[in-house]
Amino acid sequence: MKMERWLASLMLRLQSLFRKETVENDFDEELRFHLENQVEQFVAQGMSPRAARKAATKLLAGVDRQKEQLRELWQFRWLENFWRDVSFSVRLLRKSPGFTAVALLTLALGVGANTAVFSLINGLLLRPLPVPHSEQLAVLRIEEGGPQPEYSFCTPFFRGLENRHDVFTDVFAYDPDMLQVQGHSGNENVPGMQVSGQFFSGLQVPPLLGRTLTPEDDRKGGSPAGLAVVISEGFWERWFDRAPDVVGRKLVIANTPFTVVGVMPKRFRGVDPTRSPEIYAPLSADPILDAPRNHIDGGIHSWWLTVMARVKPGISVDGVNAALQAVSGPILHDSTEDGNYIKGEEKAHFHFSAEAGSSGFTYARILFRKPLVAMFAMCGGILLLACLNLTSLLMARGAARERELATRLAMGAGRRRLIHQLLVESLLIATAGTALGLVAAPLVSRSLATMLMSGSGAQGVTLDTSLDVRVFLFAALVTVTATVLIGLVPALQATGGNLNEAIKDGQHANKTHERRRVLPRVLMASEVALALALVAGAGLLVTSLVKLYKSGAGFDPRGVVNIAFAMDKQPLKDDALMQVYQQLGEELSHQPGVKNVSFEFIVPLSHRGWNGRYAAPGGSPKLIWMNSVGPKYFETMRIPLYVGREFGWGDTKASGLKVILNQSAAKQFFPDRDAVGQQILNPGEKTSYEVVAVVGDAKYRDMRSPALAAAYVPIQQDTQEKPSLNAVVRVEGTQTPLAGAVRSIAARLVPSIPAPVMTGMDEVVDGSLGAERMMAVLAIFFAGCALLVTGIGLYGTLSYSTSRRTSEIGIRMALGAQRSRVMGMVFRENVLVAAIGSGAGLAVALLASRALGSFLYETSPRDPWVLVGSVGALTAIASAASLLPALRAARIEPIAAIRCE
Amino acid sequence: MSKPSDFVQGTLDVLLLKMLALEPLHGWAISQRLKAASGNVLQVSEGSLYPALHKLEVTGWITAEWRPTENNRRAKFYSLTRSGRKAMKDQVADWDRLSGAVSLVLGLEEAKG
Repeated sequence: MKMERWLASLMLRLQSLFRKETVENDFDEELRFHLENQVEQFVAQGMSPRAARKAATKLLAGVDRQKEQLRELWQFRWLENFWRDVSFSVRLLRKSPGFTAVALLTLALGVGANTAVFSLINGLLLRPLPVPHSEQLAVLRIEEGGPQPEYSFCTPFFRGLENRHDVFTDVFAYDPDMLQVQGHSGNENVPGMQVSGQFFSGLQVPPLLGRTLTPEDDRKGGSPAGLAVVISEGFWERWFDRAPDVVGRKLVIANTPFTVVGVMPKRFRGVDPTRSPEIYAPLSADPILDAPRNHIDGGIHSWWLTVMARVKPGISVDGVNAALQAVSGPILHDSTEDGNYIKGEEKAHFHFSAEAGSSGFTYARILFRKPLVAMFAMCGGILLLACLNLTSLLMARGAARERELATRLAMGAGRRRLIHQLLVESLLIATAGTALGLVAAPLVSRSLATMLMSGSGAQGVTLDTSLDVRVFLFAALVTVTATVLIGLVPALQATGGNLNEAIKDGQHANKTHERRRVLPRVLMASEVALALALVAGAGLLVTSLVKLYKSGAGFDPRGVVNIAFAMDKQPLKDDALMQVYQQLGEELSHQPGVKNVSFEFIVPLSHRGWNGRYAAPGGSPKLIWMNSVGPKYFETMRIPLYVGREFGWGDTKASGLKVILNQSAAKQFFPDRDAVGQQILNPGEKTSYEVVAVVGDAKYRDMRSPALAAAYVPIQQDTQEKPSLNAVVRVEGTQTPLAGAVRSIAARLVPSIPAPVMTGMDEVVDGSLGAERMMAVLAIFFAGCALLVTGIGLYGTLSYSTSRRTSEIGIRMALGAQRSRVMGMVFRENVLVAAIGSGAGLAVALLASRALGSFLYETSPRDPWVLVGSVGALTAIASAASLLPALRAARIEPIAAIRCE
Repeated sequence: MSKPSDFVQGTLDVLLLKMLALEPLHGWAISQRLKAASGNVLQVSEGSLYPALHKLEVTGWITAEWRPTENNRRAKFYSLTRSGRKAMKDQVADWDRLSGAVSLVLGLEEAKG
């Protein structure tokens, strides 16, 4: 009842707010009606009509004056006040454009940086999948005693889990993969995803056209109607020009016809937030799609699947985990006949478990969670710094406005109203700053995402960082926090003083002012401290990055281009294929600017790996990393050849197995002997290799870990039938003409393969340092901004406080104070603040650097040079910021200063 | 012109509610009825009447509606809402208690002597 009345009243008030005119007209008409009746009554009582009207009008004269009161009754008083405050604040802010610009820019910077990094975090870690009831999704994992659970499944484990419908409605697996699709001009690589039968029923997103894939399709050879695929809306547009009869058409993938049975809408991007597959193919088609590999026959040796499930409503995480625990043992036993493997896993307490899967799954999350959180912390630091800076500036300005505020207080304005007005001012600044930041954020986050994802090592990986509700909520939260942070303290401070003192004293500096200047100093000192911590952090990250680059990869990446040839689906194999490679190499070497050409199976630093256990005769097997490389590989890569010879085209399968060891591997196998001429054995395959050379160590998987023990075998002796190799080309000068040449050479020699993909080795190196580079770039940028913002803050507060002391300084000078002493006096104010701030900042930096330690490469978090340099940078900025106000103070003319009081 | 005797704070509200409880009325009618019903003792000035009516409307105790009068002129008719009726009953009870108490006090015999 009460609620109802309140609501009705609110409605009336709101109506009247938007129809101010009508309310007043209404009242006028009501009064007119009253007047007419009164006139009639007077006439009836015997007055003349004229006299009657006059008397009645007189009676109602006072009522008109109450309109104002009535209006107030009808309207939201605070809303009117709010508008008045807004327009007042806008006028004030426009009157001091310098202050406004600084305030907006610093805040836009803080908010923009935070929003940009938050949208990365949002895209990678938070955003739920756009599917119904995403909270019911779970990611399944394998616990086997290691520090982290495993997320890769083999086919037997997944098939064992697939039909457990006691706690799950659906269990499904997927594997992102490049698919080779036949187009009008030869084969093309298209990002795709192999999905199991319950993938679409588990995700519950209806198709745009046709149907989705079902368990029927996920069988060897497909459903009775043949092999089926579902395509994305984007692919439908690009490949079929949105033809309405696309369902039922054929697509030739990996030289095999598939039937398109459905189209998925644009918003559906599968379950990996870093990928957007264009073709969804059944899991069981893997032997066709991935030929010549076969992950299904690979059994427990092919860990290629990610498994997710939709949990039945009402079943708790504990319930799910208990059910998974119960089936773990039986599935393990059904999966393989390898008793040793089962025994080993049982010893490690092998079992399945589940975690929340509402935002899908991606490996990038495991790689980048920590760097992202660290960057978010940096962004928080810069935002706090921007707020501290604005608080100080507003306080300084509030002090300058002391008299205005005191006068308004004295004239009866409530303190509350004044605080309101000051808060509205900071709200305006915060809102405008946030808006500016939001405009810039998408650009920043997109380039950060590109930089970050280039380090994940996989092809076709992107991150959607677009703004969504969560990002906007976050920005709104930031705005509100910033408003309160920057507005409340100065507002309380500015309105809390003693009126009389403020009005009377005007510009004189006296004891009460001294006391009230402690807070701004504390604020400025914390700002300096924060800036120092940021600068020191940036220094450490940059030092570490420089050291990483300087440490070298063991090869010279400059001018080297990798060209990837996908040979796995074309008809040639073994020696015939090697002849093609030889021809390719020959033709490439004649291209302008090309100095050397060779081949390699694995591109170093691309996060791909191949390893095996090898032993020296009589020694125990050791794990080493492998690659197969072509003739003159080490010359092309500029890896030093210490002893022995390079491989040649003559090192065929028939000429005996050969191997080249790097220095670490040579030392490992033959610590006291010359390696060249020795044999190393592969106990598993019972093969033996002759060592023909020892070469320098080169980084294999990433830049951070030291070079691993590695062995190289000739490409001709690779056990794969159809290896897809990369040509390694060292080019002098521009690489652009090479791209066209490569395309035409490949089209001529091996017409059926997709266009070769060219990547610069520089890019690979940069990519492998993606996270480090992003952190360092951001840190430098933030440090620069922190220095700038702090400088502006120190300058602003000092010049405000100096301008308030103009008359005092004038008197001092009139009494004979030297200009240099005045300068020193003003200068000293900031020196103190900067010194205290630096001290505190050093302490903070030392504490925080421990958290940074895990990101640093061969750099101590207490690197004295970095710390000293940071203090130096801040000192320089603080001095520069203090010099100008000090100079201005020294130039004060005593007469003018005293007269202006 | 003598000012009409000031209403005890809040009394006007209950009087208005009571009048409107009988039938919907416009402002003019209310002022005439009040005068007549109180035997010309209670007169409410226009300057008090309309703000009071509007306040009651904003509070939600009465609602207003433009309607033609008997002689076909447009007038704003006020009528009681359900919550207004309840408020009136409460306030009438309050008033009865208050006036009873006042009468009791005023009815005391002065001590002789």
